[in-house]
Amino acid sequence: MTLKMLCAGTALLLVLSISACGSSEEAPAGAKTVSFELTDAGCEPHDSEAPAGPITFEAENTGSSKVTELEVMDGETILGEKENLTEGLSGSFSLTLERGEYTIYCPGGDDERGTLTVTGDLKAQNSPQAEKAVDSYRAYLEENTNELVAQTKPFVAAVVAGDVAEAKQLYAASRIPYERIEPVAESFGSLDPRIDARENDVPASEFEGFHRIEKALWEEETAQDMAPVAKQLQADVEELAAKVKTVDLQAVQIANGANELLGEVSASKITGEEERYSHIDLVDFEANVEGAEAAFEAVKPLLDETDPELSGEIEADFKQVFAALHPYRQGNGFVSYTELTKADTRKLAQSIDTLAEKLSQVPAAIASSEHS
Amino acid sequence: MAEITRRRLLASAGAGAAGLGLGAAGGFLLGQESADASGTGTGTVPFYGAHQAGIDTPAQDRLHFAAFDLLSEDPAELHELLREWTLAAAEATGGEMIGEVNEVPLAPPDDTGETVGLLPSSLTVTFGFGPGLFEKPGLGLAGKRPPALKPLPALPGDELNPAESGGDICVQACSDDPQVAFHAIRNLARIGRGTVAMRWSQLGFGRTATTSRGQDTPRNLMGMKDGTANIRAEDTEAMERFVWVGGEGPEWMQGGTYLVTRRIRMLLEIWDRASLTDQERTIGRHKYSGAPLGGQEEFEPLPLDREKNGHPVIPMDAHVRLASAKENSGARILRRGYSFTDGVDESLGELEAGLFFICFQRDPAKQFVPIQQRLGSLDALNEYIKHVGSALFAVAPGAQPGGYVGEGLFRPDR
Repeated sequence: MTLKMLCAGTALLLVLSISACGSSEEAPAGAKTVSFELTDAGCEPHDSEAPAGPITFEAENTGSSKVTELEVMDGETILGEKENLTEGLSGSFSLTLERGEYTIYCPGGDDERGTLTVTGDLKAQNSPQAEKAVDSYRAYLEENTNELVAQTKPFVAAVVAGDVAEAKQLYAASRIPYERIEPVAESFGSLDPRIDARENDVPASEFEGFHRIEKALWEEETAQDMAPVAKQLQADVEELAAKVKTVDLQAVQIANGANELLGEVSASKITGEEERYSHIDLVDFEANVEGAEAAFEAVKPLLDETDPELSGEIEADFKQVFAALHPYRQGNGFVSYTELTKADTRKLAQSIDTLAEKLSQVPAAIASSEHS
Repeated sequence: MAEITRRRLLASAGAGAAGLGLGAAGGFLLGQESADASGTGTGTVPFYGAHQAGIDTPAQDRLHFAAFDLLSEDPAELHELLREWTLAAAEATGGEMIGEVNEVPLAPPDDTGETVGLLPSSLTVTFGFGPGLFEKPGLGLAGKRPPALKPLPALPGDELNPAESGGDICVQACSDDPQVAFHAIRNLARIGRGTVAMRWSQLGFGRTATTSRGQDTPRNLMGMKDGTANIRAEDTEAMERFVWVGGEGPEWMQGGTYLVTRRIRMLLEIWDRASLTDQERTIGRHKYSGAPLGGQEEFEPLPLDREKNGHPVIPMDAHVRLASAKENSGARILRRGYSFTDGVDESLGELEAGLFFICFQRDPAKQFVPIQQRLGSLDALNEYIKHVGSALFAVAPGAQPGGYVGEGLFRPDR
């Protein structure tokens, strides 16, 4: 699972002031204008250039009965068009384009296809509020990776020393900060599988990290042979802590990350698959939800502007989820997953599904206010 | 007294069905009318032939699949079972009632009866033999075991439940009418009672693959078109190359194939919460058109090398990329899967639903296994699915009238 690029599959990034990917009738602020004349020969100019970013396309029919339409195409995909421009009529539309070559298609002309070359990099300009959301989430991210490094140290030391009882005691505390920020860790390629793969996720020779040690401690009841795995784990979490400092974040990604955390709860925590030897799945469950809540809180000011009702509902649903978890608290942690009945897990799964359904609406809801 | 048949009941529903009551008779007439009006249900697929039916047959809409454990180690019993199953399957496929004894007042009818009045509905019944069959000393079939029938290795991402996996013999019944498919499995299980016991079974309610050029690409439960790049039965060259066992196999398997099933649970609640962009990037196709990302037409080639702003247009972990023949040294499989739902997952309160994946190939170790090894560890789709059941069967070639499926198992080696 990775932080996914929004609309990166098409040539469009976010169209400003419109929440979805599509063309806009309104010219966004700062848009560059490219003007075309529709003539019998085709569209003039034949070839054109523009910088990456919002572009307004103006088309005017200056006396052609053959050409009444202008389309901007990426390969065979129509990104935007103006039709029915008979003689004397003009019109415009706007697109936000990434670097690349596009076709200006004017059907009916002698030469129907011209080229638009878009150069430079598209820089998403975050609004001040979106910047604030990113800053606040980045602080959370770093706080948790620092804690991960700090909590993993004594755990690794216990494993290296062969102290099974001590290592078992320390295991959960090192899992919590990781589970809070898991989607970000997953954006770094092989780092997540190295740290957190479950036994059946990877070929046997690549089974390492937390769960390899978990298996040794709980199933094999020994830390023998685990010292190299533990040392590698320490190095990997330190690498993670260094990498998150430079990770590129956007508000929509943060909101998506919250969804992914709840997806994790539904797919592997509520089923007892994540911590199949130690059965501390509810510890991970709570950490995932805490991480989702922190991500939501970071983007909440954006959502409060566009959909305060949804924002309020989500806050209430987070409370419901924590309330549903409460009966299973025990000491500093939770009861073992093995103590849960099907009715228990069903109730917990339903509370997550209710929250997640609403949370999944956040990225689209804040997209329109993300950029300035 | 003339033997009654499903068809004759149809033709004279009032008279033939009198003993079953008026309501039932009315039902027969309705069945006939609706079947005729829509043109479905009328198809009959020949049971006998060089290959078993249900492989290169245009995928029907419904499935009932069952895996059986063999209870007996007596070769004569297995021999007799296969002979009886073949006859019954041929009768059901032809739209006839199964068995001889269907009108003896004091005897339970041979045929369970739920297809009386129903047309053949393109029923096919396909038999396969699991690895376990060749490991029972009493049967003495160890020498007949095809080298390609190796149990599937543990595959990355597997969460297999043994109760939904494996089996010594399988029966795949496909039909355009769910009751016709169900009837076939039910009656074969009844005939086999004492010799085999049903280990697991799966109903499929909608085809998720296209196996003929005349068929549209269906959608799976993720709402995505599935099977766009599948082998089409009309492509006989691909069928010979990728599906039918040739001279490399033991003689009794030539013209047969290997069947892999995977019960793939879809985490639909999580999928439904993913944005359209995430869904499309996970698969690598546009949701509604089925076109590859960045493309317009469903059947245009995958632009695997195309980049935009330094990123591949079809992500490196997109399902279509990893499953494509190009990324698998040219290996292809014939997919013939079905969507399923089995109610509610008791421990989650979520839909217990997904894809019952079926594929046919010449050598699983060179086709399904390497493809799934890549998919299991790299596919973005893994976030939304779990493989919970798995099975492998050797599907013998077809039988000729008077013969039976799997007879080659008992023929001395030349």
